[in-house]
Amino acid sequence: MTDQTSLLSLPDVGGPAQPLLTVRGLTKHFPLKTGFLGRGAGVVRAVDELDFEVMKGETLGIVGESGCGKSTTSRLIMALMAPTSGEVVFDGRQVGSREMPLKEYRRQVQMVFQDSYASLNPRLTIEESIAFAPQVHGLSRGDSRARARDLLAAVGLNPDQFARRYPHELSGGQRQRINIARALALRPRLVLLDEPVSALDKSVEAQVLNLLQDLKGQFGLTYVFISHDLNVVQYMSDRVLVMYLGRVAEVGPVEAIYASAAHPYTAALLASRPSMDPDLRRTEPPLVGDPPNPINPPPGCRFHTRCGFAEPVCSTTVPVLHPAPAGQQAACLMVVPGSGHSRAPGSVARGIAA
Amino acid sequence: MSAPLVRVRDLEVRFVTRDATVHAVNGVSFDLAERESLCILGESGSGKSVTLRALMGLNPPRRTKLSGTVVVGGHDIVAASERRMADIRGSTVSMIFQEPMTALDPVFTIGRQIAETVIRHEGLSRASADARALELLELVQIPSAKRRLDAYPHELSGGLRQRAMIAIALSCRPKLLLADEPTTALDATVQIQILLLLRRLQQEMGMGVIFVTHDLGVAGEIADRVAVMYAGRFIEEGPVRGLMRGPLHPYAQGLLGATVHSGMRGERLTTIPGAPPNLERVPKGCAFAPRCAQVEEACLPAVPEFRSPVPGHAARCVRVRHAA
Repeated sequence: MTDQTSLLSLPDVGGPAQPLLTVRGLTKHFPLKTGFLGRGAGVVRAVDELDFEVMKGETLGIVGESGCGKSTTSRLIMALMAPTSGEVVFDGRQVGSREMPLKEYRRQVQMVFQDSYASLNPRLTIEESIAFAPQVHGLSRGDSRARARDLLAAVGLNPDQFARRYPHELSGGQRQRINIARALALRPRLVLLDEPVSALDKSVEAQVLNLLQDLKGQFGLTYVFISHDLNVVQYMSDRVLVMYLGRVAEVGPVEAIYASAAHPYTAALLASRPSMDPDLRRTEPPLVGDPPNPINPPPGCRFHTRCGFAEPVCSTTVPVLHPAPAGQQAACLMVVPGSGHSRAPGSVARGIAA
Repeated sequence: MSAPLVRVRDLEVRFVTRDATVHAVNGVSFDLAERESLCILGESGSGKSVTLRALMGLNPPRRTKLSGTVVVGGHDIVAASERRMADIRGSTVSMIFQEPMTALDPVFTIGRQIAETVIRHEGLSRASADARALELLELVQIPSAKRRLDAYPHELSGGLRQRAMIAIALSCRPKLLLADEPTTALDATVQIQILLLLRRLQQEMGMGVIFVTHDLGVAGEIADRVAVMYAGRFIEEGPVRGLMRGPLHPYAQGLLGATVHSGMRGERLTTIPGAPPNLERVPKGCAFAPRCAQVEEACLPAVPEFRSPVPGHAARCVRVRHAA
């Protein structure tokens, strides 16, 4: 691969121990304008008090059902919308501050969207689309084109064959490869993948997942991988964050989450996966009903309305993330000692029952 | 032995436009027994939805050229007039779709839409139709059903809308239920509820069900038999256990290998190189040959016939051996 003179990949600042991305108290409320003159109509609590970190070189998977705030989270991280409160810190520097202005930040963080067609400009050729951002950031026209052709080769598309085509001339899988190539054009360090394979057929999905794994090693990338497909998240991620109605339900190493989920919601989500083995068919659904509306989330633990272990304390106390036995953290009163839940570690009721 | 509920022979569907002719379905034959559930698996453009629609005469009449035999519950679907089809739909065969929001009428309440169907097909009075609507909402386990009768589709969540659509589809007790990716748009915890509901209703009402899906997990949960479609043909058909554990056709093997399931972390996924053929021309020979790692001379001259190494499980591949 030829190397251009400017726009090299960016240097590491804080060393390997410093998280690449830190999210603190991130909150996004969308106001509802349905009341009289748009007043007093309340808000959609899309994301509420989100805290997490993404370490350098890892893949953090984010899972959850529709309305849980996955996509809002990704747009907040990308600074595509302003948060109601909270902050995003990239490699020790606060995003939007003088140390890390947005233009600089967007060189470091790029995103791949679910809809491969809507996210490409239909009037630009593939080559122009990929070369666009490097040109904006000051690379010469010729160098940008050369970089675009290198990236096309890196994502497995022959540059001579594809560079001059338009998005509508490509299949969904090919378009998603273009989107990935474009995301890499500024040599970012963090790539946000928002449902990148959800619109693809299974055989194409496997090709794109393999490609993402290859590129991660080749370019030294860190991924945030958002998906509703639990199997794909398990395959891709080092750590997993489970969201429910705008809050983190559980976060931790992928093995801990999948082998011994500490939050009842995670357990139910995992048990909801259809089985490919007809001898292991489910007989009872793990949860009943749909996720509640984020306009009026339940008080206390937001999952208590659907939880099989809910007790009165769950509707009054908001659980915070607390270490759980298998090495993850869960926001459930059952893992917090002295929380008042009868299944909490060291509670009196548990002692009597045992 | 009684006649099968569904009998399809040499079904071909072509879509003709001024510019091109698309050969969407190129010779599909199968039977479905009463109370049986068949899952048609395939990727986009394989012809699975077109096959399903042909069973109900739903492909656009002007642009569609259809040939072959389609008999559902004793009715000849190919020859039936539009008026006759309107009688057959609902009472003999009905269908549920992927997107309940586009399948339901946004300006009528759920209760009204169910009652309308029952009045049209069974000639019930308004009052008894309303009572039936309530029964049906309870059957599909919609909580506080009485209140939901007066709800409009936009007032319901995705899962409830899908249940309401199932209630409409079942309102005239069809013998055959067609389902086109009914759970694809739903969340994981809701998807499994709908799958289990459909499985229970199928058993209780004794319906035949044909499911179209691209999701192997859905097939694993609900199917008795599975058919894999590629380029407008069934390329493999067999009982769900046999097919999931030992697929015969290289395409079916590739599809199963490419599907991510738990315990694959760190492994490289097997992929199928290339893309499905353009169906503006019917491919000569095995349509999968250009992508197949095991292609040989015998694949090219003609479409391979079904070969069956074990009874009930067959694939269109020259490498599969007939049972001795």
